[in-house]
Amino acid sequence: MAVQRPLTVCDVYDRFLKGEKMSESDWDYKIIPTNAAELKNKYKLDFGKNIVPEDKDMANRLFQAGMEMLVTTGFYNCDMKRVAKFTEEEIWEGIKKTPTSLVLGEYRDAVKFEPRRGNSSKKPVIQGGPTGAPVSEDVFVQVMQSYAQEAIVDTLVNGVMSTIEGRPATTNTPWEIKATMAELRALKEARVRANRPYMAI
Amino acid sequence: MLAGWAANGNIIMMEQMPIFGGYCGGVEETAICDTATHIASFAFLGANYHLDGPIHIRWGNTTSRETMQIAAHTAAAMDQNTDLLIANQYYPVAGPCTEMCLLETATQAISDTASGRELLSGSAAAKGVAMDKTTGMEARMMGEASKAAAGMAIEEVNPIIEALVSGYEKDYAKAPSGKRFQECYDVLSVKPKEEYLAVYESVVQKLRDLGLDIRN
Repeated sequence: MAVQRPLTVCDVYDRFLKGEKMSESDWDYKIIPTNAAELKNKYKLDFGKNIVPEDKDMANRLFQAGMEMLVTTGFYNCDMKRVAKFTEEEIWEGIKKTPTSLVLGEYRDAVKFEPRRGNSSKKPVIQGGPTGAPVSEDVFVQVMQSYAQEAIVDTLVNGVMSTIEGRPATTNTPWEIKATMAELRALKEARVRANRPYMAI
Repeated sequence: MLAGWAANGNIIMMEQMPIFGGYCGGVEETAICDTATHIASFAFLGANYHLDGPIHIRWGNTTSRETMQIAAHTAAAMDQNTDLLIANQYYPVAGPCTEMCLLETATQAISDTASGRELLSGSAAAKGVAMDKTTGMEARMMGEASKAAAGMAIEEVNPIIEALVSGYEKDYAKAPSGKRFQECYDVLSVKPKEEYLAVYESVVQKLRDLGLDIRN
């Protein structure tokens, strides 16, 4: 059936409000493992030894299995303890609405983020950084600069500043906000030091 | 937060790290769940790109045979059926200034690139949990290995990945924790030290010997 429009965040929230109530343990221990195992058998998925698939048909079957898993099992909201379901038509409409070409960063430091389609000779975008690993406050700028100055790096991903003014950046305290703001200032300083002031962060 | 970002026109990255050996089960079952959550991120959660990161329940890394297989099959499934933008992140077991860390990073970069990922994000060396054990040199390895693997035939890539992963996977329990940023770089000038450059060169040579065309 044709969809009314692509789902918005508010539509999805409303869908969860009406979703089936379920405990997290039922979802984790029963629903997910049972349904995933059934779909593995239904779509005859056996990856064998290859890390990267050479069998295109199997990769397509995996996509179909993933789609069926999403449509039939739904999506669990841990906070609301409810499962929302979406039709395949709604899912494709959402995919259709998603941009398939982005620009990360600005001016001379911008990089195009576009589909590669298989193992294209075009390299992926290289996002350098500690990816959430803890970094000392006193070397945070230098650590981030070490990524920003690398020729092969296109964009930055930050680490976590472990303290601010020597205090732990504890979650749900003002120190957490202060540390986050300091992280952002440090990232901007790092890319300026590397002569790439408009690199995406 | 999603509602605010969407209204503001921000580029939204949605991150999800399925655990191999957890609730989902084995590699195929975890890849099914990984594919489903990739699709969900775009279809109704508003993601503009998705950051994956299948992680091993025992070793806490993304560079294991099983987690790379999950990521690569999921990437190929998404790549063959959509034009959505997909990424992966890096959690090697070993820490900076060690050959094992760079070999793990290069192996995953080759796998991610060959399976069609559009963005590589990393690297959180030493499993991303040790203070100051991440440096730009690991990102250099990730990027250069990726660049060299881009465009290679999958049939050429798989034997290289196999040779690399079978070389380091036996060492997870005794993996070197590596050195801190302050030991790897001159902190004032932010230049990597000779010791790390030598380790990097050694790994590059090993990759070249396996058939990867990494250029200086």
